[in-house]
Amino acid sequence: MGSLFGDWPSFDPHNFSQLQPSDPSSPSSCRVQAVILLDTVLLNQARFKCMFRKIGLTSLMYILILLRMTPATYHPTHSRTLPPPDQVITTDAKNILLRHIYQRAEEKDLRPKRAAPEHLVPEHGCKQPRASSSSC
Amino acid sequence: MFRSNNIVARIFQRQICTPAPGTSVHCARRFYENLVPSFTIYDVECPDHSFRKFTDDGQYLISFSRNNQDLIVYRPTWLSFSCKEEDCDSHDLPSKARRFESFFTQLYSVSLASCNELICKDFFLYMDSNQYGIFATSTVPSQDAPATGGAIPGFPSIEKMTFHLLRLEDGVILDEKVFHNDFVNLPHNMGVFLYDDLLAIVSLRYQTVHILQIRDSGNLVDVRAIGAYCHEDDELFLNSNAQCMAFPDKSKMHQLPQNHVQNGLHHSQPNLEESFLSGIKQRLLSFIFHRIWNEEKDRTLRVQCLKKKFYFHFQDYVDLIIWKVQFLDRHHLLIKFGSVEGVVSRNADQHPAFFAVYNMETTEIVAFYQNSAEDLYHLFEQYCDHFHSTSRNSLYMNFISSHSNNIHALEQLRSIKNKATSSSQFVKKMLGSLPFSCQSQSPSPYFDQSLFRFDEKLISATDRHRPSTDHPIKFILRRPPCSLKFKIKLGPEAGSADGRTKKISSFLFHPFLPLALSFQYTSFSQPSVVNIHFRR
Repeated sequence: MGSLFGDWPSFDPHNFSQLQPSDPSSPSSCRVQAVILLDTVLLNQARFKCMFRKIGLTSLMYILILLRMTPATYHPTHSRTLPPPDQVITTDAKNILLRHIYQRAEEKDLRPKRAAPEHLVPEHGCKQPRASSSSC
Repeated sequence: MFRSNNIVARIFQRQICTPAPGTSVHCARRFYENLVPSFTIYDVECPDHSFRKFTDDGQYLISFSRNNQDLIVYRPTWLSFSCKEEDCDSHDLPSKARRFESFFTQLYSVSLASCNELICKDFFLYMDSNQYGIFATSTVPSQDAPATGGAIPGFPSIEKMTFHLLRLEDGVILDEKVFHNDFVNLPHNMGVFLYDDLLAIVSLRYQTVHILQIRDSGNLVDVRAIGAYCHEDDELFLNSNAQCMAFPDKSKMHQLPQNHVQNGLHHSQPNLEESFLSGIKQRLLSFIFHRIWNEEKDRTLRVQCLKKKFYFHFQDYVDLIIWKVQFLDRHHLLIKFGSVEGVVSRNADQHPAFFAVYNMETTEIVAFYQNSAEDLYHLFEQYCDHFHSTSRNSLYMNFISSHSNNIHALEQLRSIKNKATSSSQFVKKMLGSLPFSCQSQSPSPYFDQSLFRFDEKLISATDRHRPSTDHPIKFILRRPPCSLKFKIKLGPEAGSADGRTKKISSFLFHPFLPLALSFQYTSFSQPSVVNIHFRR
């Protein structure tokens, strides 16, 4: 469907979110739509009023129209931070101390395993490993 | 925020200036620089009680009778008198102002201990959301009790130990939890930890952490018991698979040791000599095994590593016992493990100790550290406040100074670290304070290290007896002009009237009023001298 602002001039149309047909069956898309709608309307009140006044629409009607034009998902314009997969932000219940404890535990599990040295014979040739006992 | 030290100027500035975001409480606390307990009434005539502490919301003063049988609760009030003269400041206080009753009103007295029991006067926990207090009474410990019924040898046995849940508003005892022939480290709340409405009681003798919930109705409800079992249905599963426990004679199964906890979990401890290791010990050993297993990729080296690091020390790991426990949040426990000798000896630093983070929901050990682990020390240094896990409702507890939230405390810690001769000894010394004891620090703003500087050897927020001093304890402003604001003196200039030599002192600071009590003892059986410090 293209840019939200149609053929209005812009430095780079890719700086603005691209529209996609909204999917009313997806609750997250409805939630995202509502949030984006509120932001869009509040930030661009003058432009939208001017645009829709020309075709004789009331505020309520242009909000309803925007609902259908609101993008279903947010496509970031940069790659510095990535949006969450389902774009629903949740809070980790663990405090920062526990998060660090878990993180360090996972790092220890994932850190590269030491590869076997070239010589498997122990350094001290006079010492030999014990024979494995049945208790072990 | 404040440009002037004058209190009127500060009040006016507060009216017209907005503090920086997130600093409103810090700005309000700066008024304590102006409102200090600068006046002292020495040797106040007061009832012969053993004063324990102010509750953290400042509503009650907890005290026990000298015979440790009764609980007496006071309400802190404030001295009020009128003076018709023009210059009232130069006049002495009226004689009735120098009485204990002018500052505190007795609410009630409740008998907690019966016949041969005594109240543990060093134990008290407060749940400020419902104004519930937890007290403990016990019979005299028996040092040479035999280690029967799954008990760990080396620990004394208390025939009967009772935890009382009391509503402090009116002194009604709401519920009790009794332990028989058990041992819990009660002094200074070492064996018990309260987090929100969850209470953890560590039975050293039977190596079980009892988790209880304090309901709003005032009931103590058993949640789980971590020790021989982790999940609530572990006992059922193990008993239904009795063939796995390898009893030599199945007809002896009915002779399993019986429960010693009344009102609660009727589980029995398996005989460790005849069955496999279960419960938290199994979790711990599995964690250590898997950690060493995952460190090595090569199979031969892996086996060698296991032999050296695990099997060689296997019996030492099996012999580890739970020393102390604290909550990190509602689901995680920080458990300190050590040897029996380390628990009973006074010099625990010489004995090895370990820390484990245990998830009560998944019953997994998340992390395991030795008491000299640099990893754990870095977490302790950066996130000390999270080790002092506090109730979500106790906002004032979030402002207790620690090296994680106060630059002066951090500088102090770093200076100790720089002076330490051995890094591992320093780490062991610092981590020796873990797990923290519950409600062991006063939230009084006069111990806020960003407001005042004081000698921590003589006085601190930690509730401990300290050697008495003849010199006054000075509280000096941190900020310019860095002037002396008030002194806590333990005796008048001329010395006490009867010339007694005072040796030990302790202090009780009100959580938010400029009011403090100081006590001097010659011995614990002698009546103490009580001084009241307040803002006149």
